[in-house]
Amino acid sequence: MLDIQQVSFAYPGHAPALKELSLTVAAGDFIGLAGRNGSGKTTLTRIMVGLAKPVSGQVLLDGRNTLQCGPAVMARAIGYVFQNPDRQIFRDTVAQEVAFGPEQMDWSDNERTQAVADALRMTGLESVAAAYPRGLTRSFRQRIAIASALALKPRLLILDEPTSGQDAEEKAQLMSLLDELNQQGIGIILVTHDMELLLAHTRRAVVLHQGEKVFDGQTEELFAATTATKVSEWGLRVPDVAAVAAKLEKPLGAVRTVEELADRIEGRLRGDEREKPGAPM
Amino acid sequence: MKNLAPLCNLLLTIMLSVWTVLLWNPLPLAALLALELILIGYAGQAGKLARPVLGLSLVAGFFAVIQLPFDVAIPTAIASGLKMMVMTVAFLLLFATTKLPGLTAALVKQARIPYEYAFLFTSALRFVPDFLAESQAVREAQTCRGYVPSRNPVKRLISYAALVEPMVLRAISRSETMAMSLELRGFGSARRTFSQQIEFHGRDYLVLTLLAAMTAVVVLYR
Repeated sequence: MLDIQQVSFAYPGHAPALKELSLTVAAGDFIGLAGRNGSGKTTLTRIMVGLAKPVSGQVLLDGRNTLQCGPAVMARAIGYVFQNPDRQIFRDTVAQEVAFGPEQMDWSDNERTQAVADALRMTGLESVAAAYPRGLTRSFRQRIAIASALALKPRLLILDEPTSGQDAEEKAQLMSLLDELNQQGIGIILVTHDMELLLAHTRRAVVLHQGEKVFDGQTEELFAATTATKVSEWGLRVPDVAAVAAKLEKPLGAVRTVEELADRIEGRLRGDEREKPGAPM
Repeated sequence: MKNLAPLCNLLLTIMLSVWTVLLWNPLPLAALLALELILIGYAGQAGKLARPVLGLSLVAGFFAVIQLPFDVAIPTAIASGLKMMVMTVAFLLLFATTKLPGLTAALVKQARIPYEYAFLFTSALRFVPDFLAESQAVREAQTCRGYVPSRNPVKRLISYAALVEPMVLRAISRSETMAMSLELRGFGSARRTFSQQIEFHGRDYLVLTLLAAMTAVVVLYR
């Protein structure tokens, strides 16, 4: 769907932020984009949506070069959700806020109404459609930002640190929403520093380090014992579940969540008890 | 200028503005502009201020040219453009070379301005780059939702609500947070001290003497 080819970018007076980076995003991907601060994550996503133009290289959307397309055009294909939803919310009700994007398009009344209704339903905001957006919690405001992007019916959604400032339950709810959207066929690129979320929810991980892509593969592979030392060098933290799974005398292999880890350990204990009591895990 | 006391820098800016007001001949105004550009280079701010100065020169040029159809003499039009530019560059130079906490301390301790007013002044200045950054962020956020300003001037004006409203709401929220943060850190106490070094040294007195001499020359020969 999205093909980034040999893209380089530099801010004036600074070292290159991206160095000949290539990345292909397939329809329905769920990608975790990670890297330490200043590694080029945000620059890359800004280039994807047309907020920044690369110095060299090209960005192809369905085979068509997008370098001449501004973000307002790209919004039809790629939704961008900023870290701080308060920078975009300004209308009196949630429904009106979500309708802002569709109003910018040349859509009929029916199409517009349907787009807003769909976006509210997909994000679970129907019950607060008439509420004042700024009076809602951060978690709700972040959902409004996601709904606003979804109202334009994009095929890919890029979220820049969407869970910041949210408690554990709110994070879980938001990630559950992203899982659901992904199951409905919407591609997700999640920019995050939270490696637990990355491991638990994304299928593919892309790591940037000093403007270069240093890892692109299955998320479980990123935290496998062979790459774990590099992960620390790239400024990332190995999630506790992956660390525990790797530390066992007989490593458990790829584990994504605490529940999965517990199940595997219990399963092994049961098996070991049957075979040889007291055997190492 | 970075080595001068904040109040000395402020006085230099004020005097540059006063001279600009007094002068109506393009040549001395151009000389003042040249002096400012030399000071920018001397202060090591050429790279940082090159773009704003270039932008200002375009605005000043436009300002001069737009007066010509109204029977304004060419030297007067040029002088008007130069006046605007010299005064603005003077303030750019001040803010590029003087730290705002030092300026606040100088206004309070040396110029005897009440702290609340000095703080208000410097806070307002500090808000300008924040405001520009916020404006850029809001514009980007709305553009990613399909916002494109209309070519129709009326529709364009109405559509600016999508940019202005979030900025105003954010500014109110931030000012509330800042007010609370200040109160919680003892803002408004009757007696206070400053950690900034603002005392005058020999070089400051030298600059003040030159300012006085230059002012006398401008008043006598303008």
